[in-house]
Amino acid sequence: MTQVAVAENPVSPLVPIVGKIIKIVTETPDVKTFHVSTPDGNKPFTPAPGQLGMLSLLNVGEAMFSITTQGPNHLEFAIKKTGVLTDALHESEVGQTVAVRGPYGNGFPIEFCKGKDLLFIGGGIGLAPVRSLINYCVENRDDFGKLQVIYGSRSPADLVFKDDILTNWPQVRDMQVDLTVDRGDDTWQGNVGFVPAFIEQLAPSPEGDKVCILCGPPIMIKFCLQSLAKLGFKNENIITTLEMRMKCGVGKCGRCNIGSCYVCLDGPVFSLAQLQTMPPEY
Amino acid sequence: MKAIAKTQISELLNQVAREYNVLVPVAGADKYAPYTPGIELKLNSRTLLPPKDVFFPQTEKMYKFSTDGMEGSLDSLLTTPKPQLLFGIRPCDVKSIHCLDHVFLSKGFVDEFYAAKRDNTFLISIGCNGPAESTCFCQSMGINPQDTDEVDVHLFDLGSQYGVVPKSAKGEAFVAKYAALFAETTEEVPAVAEFTLNLELDGVSEKLAQMFEHPLWEEVSRKCIGCGACTYLCPTCHCFDVSARVAGTQGFRFRCWDSCMFSDYTRMAGGHNPRPSKKERVRNRFLHKLQYFPERYGDSLCTGCGRCLSKCPVNMDITNIIKQVREVDLV
Repeated sequence: MTQVAVAENPVSPLVPIVGKIIKIVTETPDVKTFHVSTPDGNKPFTPAPGQLGMLSLLNVGEAMFSITTQGPNHLEFAIKKTGVLTDALHESEVGQTVAVRGPYGNGFPIEFCKGKDLLFIGGGIGLAPVRSLINYCVENRDDFGKLQVIYGSRSPADLVFKDDILTNWPQVRDMQVDLTVDRGDDTWQGNVGFVPAFIEQLAPSPEGDKVCILCGPPIMIKFCLQSLAKLGFKNENIITTLEMRMKCGVGKCGRCNIGSCYVCLDGPVFSLAQLQTMPPEY
Repeated sequence: MKAIAKTQISELLNQVAREYNVLVPVAGADKYAPYTPGIELKLNSRTLLPPKDVFFPQTEKMYKFSTDGMEGSLDSLLTTPKPQLLFGIRPCDVKSIHCLDHVFLSKGFVDEFYAAKRDNTFLISIGCNGPAESTCFCQSMGINPQDTDEVDVHLFDLGSQYGVVPKSAKGEAFVAKYAALFAETTEEVPAVAEFTLNLELDGVSEKLAQMFEHPLWEEVSRKCIGCGACTYLCPTCHCFDVSARVAGTQGFRFRCWDSCMFSDYTRMAGGHNPRPSKKERVRNRFLHKLQYFPERYGDSLCTGCGRCLSKCPVNMDITNIIKQVREVDLV
């Protein structure tokens, strides 16, 4: 009997689909990047840069992560070992079944960024969400002006995405990568110092309507914002991405609100101008 | 207007029970429960427990899974229930369903678990001719205690009988189908008795938008013990947690009611908590009801049902907080 073609069910907002870990990259002692495909080798869904995905180990738990980048057939999640689920993920091996749902959230304002010079600032694992946009810009290089990445971590061993920051990105046309660490080691030749001080030292110009996209630990963000203000960046051109505890990802479960905004739906990407109209509760 | 004698309600329910799973306000348990002939109904007031669990159960399985080493699979547990009929909800609780619809059915994502039950439920409301309890203040929240349009059939309380008014096409068909139980009446709907609890709400939402840092929150949160009773009794509180039960290789993931009054509610992996103390949690609860939800959906998230003030163990009182907000002098 001929099989009648059945329209694919729309992806449920709350029930995930099964996926497989197809590759694991050890980035640092406590960060691994997990490449996830469907069991038949396809991309679970196609997120926009900056969007989120809910990833779970079926018998452990579920949590929201930024999707750090994607390939034609997979999504990548860079995950720091920091709780029950992430501990279990770090123990997982290639071939492990996971479940995944999404994409959620607004993503980075790509149209707003087009044609402009972009400054990316990351601290620690905070480079993970920013990397989705950096890679988009690299892949669509002609749509953007000059690209600069300022990235810092606690130590040289804690730098994530070493292939990108040391090899791939510096080779891209009109793209500059500046690295710093809080504490160097015997082999570290680069800058030593916190990210905000490094920004002031490099003094990137806000001219040409340059847009700054930053993500990192809250304390780093706080001081970076002061540095960017000193350099003359406009609040509308400073863009960050927030983290909150989430259970549903679709604006129903209630906990990720900042005032009347839900980070899972209206964020996670906000401009500083937007954040200044919201209660400081994040 | 058509009408049905109050003594005929059990006959109506017996008949509709052949077609629907009928949920009725039950005395004693003080909540909505399946109708059985002879069950004692509570028709003179709202129930203590709101009807939200009809659409949004306190715990609800979403999917089951099995794991075998690195292998695993999952299956949705979404089911479409038999058509159900929710009988006797009050206008305050009708408004709460309207609020839940905003949350679960709008902003780009339809919650299929809520929608399956909501789409399959026929609503019959009963109006109140005044405050049913001393803690009732629905009128101050802009609700007509006697009438509502967001149901299929509405019943006006006319003393010994209920005036029957269809409010939807489905309601028209229902009234036609059970016409034998309804007679014409010329009796008028009585005037609404005066409420003892009255509030002025004009401008409160806008004022709250300027009161995030106000010392009032420190003050009013001091006596809260964070028990969460207010959120469980609230007909509009809809926050939920998602968790799993695992036994060997089998398990299921479910959602269950959660409360913004609990400290773990917003605590992230790694320990950061944007609402670390009672002050932030109490503030968020009241701002959500009175400012954030109105900003997001255009409706207040408080219906004035009075359940939280009647049962709070330390007498937290949203009406009192609204009054205090009105008295604040913003410089």
